[in-house]
Amino acid sequence: MSTATAVMRKPWVRWAVIAIVVVLAIVLPLVLPEFANTTLARIGVFAVAVLGLNVVMGYTGQVSLGQIFFLGLGAYVTAYGVQQDWNIVLVFVLACLIPAVVGLLVALAAARLGGLAIAMVTIALPIVGVPLAKRLSEFTGGSQGLSARFTAAPEWTGLYDDQWQLYIVLLIAGISFLLTRNLVRGKYGRAFAIVKGNEAVAGSMGISPYRYKVLAFTVASLLGGVSGFLYMVVIQYTSPETLSFGHSITLLASMVIGGAGSILGSLLGGAYYVLTPQLTNLIDPGLTAVLQGAILLIVLFVLPGGLVSLPRLFRRRRGREQGGGAAAAKAAASATAVPSTSAPDGADVTTHPPTESEERRQDT
Amino acid sequence: MGTFIQLVIDGLSSGSIYAALALAIVLVNQATGLINFAQGGMAVLSAYIAWQLTAWSVPLLLAILISIAASFVIGAIVERFLIRKFEGGDPDTAVVVTIGLLTLITGICAWIWSYNNKLFPSLFPLETISIAGAVVSVRSIGTILAIVAIMVLLQLLFLGTKLGLALRAVAINPQSAAFSGMPVGRLLMVGWGLAASLGAVAGALVAPQLTLTPNMMDSALVYALAAVIIGGLTSPIGVVIAAWLIGVLENLAAVYVPLIGHDLKIAVPFIMIFVVLIVRPQGLFGRKAVVRV
Amino acid sequence: MITHRTKMRAVSVVAGLGIVALLATGCARGGDSGSPTESGGAAAASPGITDDTITLGITTPLSGATAGPGTCTVAGITAYFGAKNADGGVTFGDGKTRKVEIKALDDAYDPQKAAANFDQLKDSVFAMTAGLGTPTNRAWREAAIADEVPQALIMTGDPIFSDQKQSPWSLGFVPIYQNEGEAFGKLLASSPDEHKVAILSQNDDYGQGYVEGFKKGIEGADNIQVVKELTYEATDTNVDAQLTELAGSGADVFFNAMSITPLVISSLQKTQELGWLPSWFLPSNTSSPSAILEPGGATAFPGVYTVAFAQSAAAPTFADSEDGKAFLAGLKEYANYPDPPAFPHCVWSYQVGATLDQVFQKMTEPTRADFMKELRSIQDYVAPLMLDGSSVDTTEDGQPAVSTVQVQKYNGKGYAPAQNWG
Repeated sequence: MSTATAVMRKPWVRWAVIAIVVVLAIVLPLVLPEFANTTLARIGVFAVAVLGLNVVMGYTGQVSLGQIFFLGLGAYVTAYGVQQDWNIVLVFVLACLIPAVVGLLVALAAARLGGLAIAMVTIALPIVGVPLAKRLSEFTGGSQGLSARFTAAPEWTGLYDDQWQLYIVLLIAGISFLLTRNLVRGKYGRAFAIVKGNEAVAGSMGISPYRYKVLAFTVASLLGGVSGFLYMVVIQYTSPETLSFGHSITLLASMVIGGAGSILGSLLGGAYYVLTPQLTNLIDPGLTAVLQGAILLIVLFVLPGGLVSLPRLFRRRRGREQGGGAAAAKAAASATAVPSTSAPDGADVTTHPPTESEERRQDT
Repeated sequence: MGTFIQLVIDGLSSGSIYAALALAIVLVNQATGLINFAQGGMAVLSAYIAWQLTAWSVPLLLAILISIAASFVIGAIVERFLIRKFEGGDPDTAVVVTIGLLTLITGICAWIWSYNNKLFPSLFPLETISIAGAVVSVRSIGTILAIVAIMVLLQLLFLGTKLGLALRAVAINPQSAAFSGMPVGRLLMVGWGLAASLGAVAGALVAPQLTLTPNMMDSALVYALAAVIIGGLTSPIGVVIAAWLIGVLENLAAVYVPLIGHDLKIAVPFIMIFVVLIVRPQGLFGRKAVVRV
Repeated sequence: MITHRTKMRAVSVVAGLGIVALLATGCARGGDSGSPTESGGAAAASPGITDDTITLGITTPLSGATAGPGTCTVAGITAYFGAKNADGGVTFGDGKTRKVEIKALDDAYDPQKAAANFDQLKDSVFAMTAGLGTPTNRAWREAAIADEVPQALIMTGDPIFSDQKQSPWSLGFVPIYQNEGEAFGKLLASSPDEHKVAILSQNDDYGQGYVEGFKKGIEGADNIQVVKELTYEATDTNVDAQLTELAGSGADVFFNAMSITPLVISSLQKTQELGWLPSWFLPSNTSSPSAILEPGGATAFPGVYTVAFAQSAAAPTFADSEDGKAFLAGLKEYANYPDPPAFPHCVWSYQVGATLDQVFQKMTEPTRADFMKELRSIQDYVAPLMLDGSSVDTTEDGQPAVSTVQVQKYNGKGYAPAQNWG
């Protein structure tokens, strides 16, 4: 056991970290340049979206390729509400509720049918969503989209617009992360994990897989709606392109790269989603596709468990250096413990490093 | 009536495009247990290789054969050095790796050959024949026949040959297969190589109609995935029939169901999936998966 | 129980917080362009311009399905200013000679990334230009207004960008979709015969704009009748079903508002297969003779019409003309674009560069406000590679930089002007 985790366990350290984070959250928007603020705000938007995806995919093991649909729906609800001059709190509530209700209905229908059905229904959502958004042009502005500027900083705050937007994002995203963290650490999270591991076992324990899948999906869509509201806060424009299928795939990749089944991983996933295109643009705008593909592959090659498993990598490295005996024994133990078959339901409940067993797999 | 038959025949033709990709996806899945999002991208790369050869004055058929061989090698190498590491682990991670591979391959094609549309010569003459009052191009018929031939070959491979059996064994239970003395690694490479070659054939069949661009197969990928799920992950016949059904029903729904119309006709495959999965959860032709608890 | 150790820990935590707070207030951000501020006063230079250089920014799709035209929107302007810089630069109206630098970023046709690119560039470029796409440009249009950054000469036919009241800091370059459709409609209406028209349009503002313009052009002409109107999605793999329906309508004119090159080619082939041989209309961005009409076998039809204001880089005479040679050489040398372009956006972007050149020559102050003033004052400027009779006129409110188009007819190799029908 390394000293790092021992230190983290001490309550006073945890309080200190929280205090520092809060202070940073208050102070950073005031000192960072505008572009850094808008980038952080966008990271917040997509971190919440990836968080929702994590709830249904990372924690509950159900494939969802439609998370972007709920983001788009939340964004459209927000844009429409702002254009109709509704009260902004009402708009926020609607942006959370309407996607949640849609997600609930979809899950009620699809969850009974097994993993494949959920996957295909979720693929259908953004793919049918785009032409639908174009057809319902009285509400959505059609293919030209809706512009809704409503996050100019009020006079009494003395803040710049980007700072005000970042505060809103930090507040709402922070609350979302906190609530979700409590959800997955509590009894619901444990139920999700069992449903992910083995539905038959879950059923025999009195945990209805159907009910918890529906719950997970509804929470995911609710978070998607929240991220849609935040999207409008920052971008202040939405169009059918907001919910195109390609973005869903990128969200999935971001979730895995950040770390599936991890709260911190969702934040890292959001950072990946936003920062990678900007990084590749800095390197060479004409080669963004090649670079993004390469970055994704390299990160997964080095860290198959996602960015959040980085400390584990260091721990293992240090473990190897500190002595062959202890490390070899530890490695052998985990190799036999980790199933290395490619059974379809093979994802484990606990996330431990999967690479160790693969390094020992025989190659020809 | 003429319109109806024309729509059906056109649906078969476009369905063949989806079927070509779907067959390659089925092959990879049977051989390695993964869903390969990059299958379309690899087919595009193969098509570019064939096109480049024809641009260097190599005869078309020879160019396609060379690209098939090259694709086999590329597929095997990709499996050995990239995919191998992820095959035993989290399936979501493996899927994302194939997504990254798709982005990378598309980017490489664009880098080498640019985004300008390239004209891919057609294997078949550009004539039409008349069937029951509808007009169909020789090219479409050729594509449909080629797909049927490939489907039959795949079905024979998996059900009738030792190689096919070995591939499936390795995918279902690599450890047992290894204990039985099968060269697991080599079989995995062969599986991916075969799928890539199949993709090369698909690319060559489809590129004349779709015009060769780096993103050529992106729209077809969703339809191919839908066909795979409707038809059953384990059945080449199933996915081809499913792909044809998708093509035909889409056209018919677009023209005869005004509520759907041409803009929402993409909902048709998904409605089909929903209906099929309610009735038969393993797909139209798939085998029921028995999971031991 | 508070021990010595607990007290030390508490002190160190508070000290840490204090240091962070001090640092924060110490380097608090000064005034920047976060909210609408003064745009630089009388002669204080705007960002992105010095005495020797001026920097332009472009956000455009350089990857994805629209990367073909998108790459062209960067290549053309880079070629133009590359040649100009090699000659020493552009002499501005204030007497200084400056070299023009171009910063281009990929937005993959995603409005969110386009807005992010704008945020990234706006403090380091003088003006934004040449970007492709309606939703991507719309995403940061209002931000550009709030930050007073020019969104000059962009590649979209959406009329909102040329309306000075709605978009005081924007201006479109290419003709609005309605103008193009209307020009063809008027030509058709002038025909002495009766015509039945079938329409196939892209299901978005692009297609709708063309159809709206066309219908305005044939208004009141009772020899023209629209018999069938259908749409398609940009993500479709084929439009066979639509063509089958349209072929059954018995129309002799096919008005086509498609922006996807592969679909236009396959449509040309499919209509021939169906045995339906109408006269065609194609929009200006998908009518290239070498890239589209030849593979499609367009000579089978009685007439293929399009509208244009610029010469086609694919026409055989193009490579022989002086301007054409300079253009192609510039693309190769400065823009890393060795093949002859298959999209008209390369020529259009080159013309954007030339128009900006004119604006720069008139600017007397290095400010964005002055730039916008001079931008709206260009009249009767014939840019290189323009067709005879076309010119740039930015003075008309509600119209983009190029507003008049000419109808052309395919003659088997290239295009020739079409004054009358037939």
